[in-house]
Amino acid sequence: MRWAALLLPALLCGSSGGAQPRPAPPVLVGIDALRADFGAKSGTDTVYFGSGSAILGAPAKAVLAAQAQWLLMHPEVAVRIEGYADSNDTRDHALAMGAKRAEEVRDFLVLMGVPAEQLTAMSWGKERYGVGRAVTVLAR
Amino acid sequence: MIKLYLGLPFALAALLASPAAAQQPGTPSAAVVAIPPMTTPDTGTKGNESLGLAWQATQVIESDLRSTSELMALKSDQKDYYSYPEVTAPTFPKWRAAGAKALVMGFIQQRADGRLTFGCYIYDVGKGRELGRAGFVVGRDDWRRAAHKCSGLAYTSITGAPGIFDTRIAYIAESGAGDSKIRRVAIMDSDGYSHHYLTAGDTMVLTPRLSPKAARVAYVSFLGGKPNVRILDVESGEQRPLVPGVSTSFAPRFSPDGQRIAFSMMLGSNTDVYVIGANGASPQRLTTSPGIDTDPSFSPDGNRIVFESDRSGSQQLYIMDADGSNERRLTFGGGRYAAPDWSPDGEWIAFTRLGSDGRRIGIIKADGSGEKILTAGPSDEGPSWAVSSRELVFQRTDPTGRNRLYRVTIDGEDPRRIEVPQDGADPDWSGVMD
Repeated sequence: MRWAALLLPALLCGSSGGAQPRPAPPVLVGIDALRADFGAKSGTDTVYFGSGSAILGAPAKAVLAAQAQWLLMHPEVAVRIEGYADSNDTRDHALAMGAKRAEEVRDFLVLMGVPAEQLTAMSWGKERYGVGRAVTVLAR
Repeated sequence: MIKLYLGLPFALAALLASPAAAQQPGTPSAAVVAIPPMTTPDTGTKGNESLGLAWQATQVIESDLRSTSELMALKSDQKDYYSYPEVTAPTFPKWRAAGAKALVMGFIQQRADGRLTFGCYIYDVGKGRELGRAGFVVGRDDWRRAAHKCSGLAYTSITGAPGIFDTRIAYIAESGAGDSKIRRVAIMDSDGYSHHYLTAGDTMVLTPRLSPKAARVAYVSFLGGKPNVRILDVESGEQRPLVPGVSTSFAPRFSPDGQRIAFSMMLGSNTDVYVIGANGASPQRLTTSPGIDTDPSFSPDGNRIVFESDRSGSQQLYIMDADGSNERRLTFGGGRYAAPDWSPDGEWIAFTRLGSDGRRIGIIKADGSGEKILTAGPSDEGPSWAVSSRELVFQRTDPTGRNRLYRVTIDGEDPRRIEVPQDGADPDWSGVMD
């Protein structure tokens, strides 16, 4: 069994700290195109954890390093990191575990230089599961 | 809502006198209880009306007592009608012959102000003496609650334990499936009546926890994007965040006096147990371990808290003083232990045990002895005690992933399903209402 923490790019509304608005491309690039580019450049929007663990393994760190590269080049994109737990867990421990995983991902991206203001972390606990579902949530 | 009535037309002095001592609790086999149809002093049209209500109330009491494993209610029969004066002078030999150990009698009388006087009397048939009595004045629409109060008096008089009839159950009503599942906080009387929803269903909600008298509910809402504890007033519907502007908080539970709420909050990636005054103020941190500390539950005297922590590498139960001192581990039985709830009588701690055989509900004494698994699983969780400390409500997920509410006694009987309009999760059982 594996668990996912999903990275979901969303268009930043208004200004974000000191980052200067970038020229041309974003005006024409919708969120779906951004997601596709993010996926292509960083390999995947999903990293996996071992059972009952919130420790990032080497493969996860490689994925996040690539994600960080992309995010550094797109400071106009805000990201919500969603942590998930296993459906076999108990409800509240699952909430904490999902949050812990999301925070681990967030901390690593910050370590990679991504501005903290660009990132939020939250947990779905065991209330939602399955890779890809969260992409639908942000399609609006 | 219901007031003790101190002006019954007869026997006022006797009502004010303390009732005879209850029998010893813990009778091994079910005590047979007779509940002949309640009567009325009213006459004429009014009398017929009152008798109709009295018969309905009798059936509510019968149904209440049948729902317990300690009492065995005889079928109420309208042929067993008795007159108003007989309420305080029952014919004990008749009920002895019927095999009854206890007798519930009473009356309903319409008052000039439109309300009802409800008198309830409990007798020990064998000894031919009164075990308890109570009178209530209620609005016409509240006759069910008065009947539940009477059931509670009967249960307590006969078994010595608090009755669960005038209590409420809050839970999460679920409709739809998967990520489009709609969840609402729902509340109902413990017999399923007065069912209604407290949240609209536009936001994901989890784990409603009732204040001891069911006036408020603390629950987790994803309003604002992150799980956060909110406090809702059941009567007015008004609500507010427990800790404004905080990141992630969950797992709330009221103290037995309703004055404090223990809950979990995240600081960075660390989840700890905190306590806060139920009316606000600033939260006080109680645990400091780097692991996940969650699901706090107060002892009935409010002096200790049992909670779950994975600090040892797996989820286990721990007990600490209510100020966070004197932490000690409670469970060593193998497997993982989660979601503890301290029984109202202080004796037991219910938990969800996670093992190779799935999730099951169990109980353990507060000193760590007497562990007992009550359900077969494989997907049970979230036990919550009835005020009687003899029964629990919990959530069972069926093989198709749908959540159901069940109740189980600590005697190891098979769990019984609680019927609710939709799927149900995260049940929480209140104490006795005012």
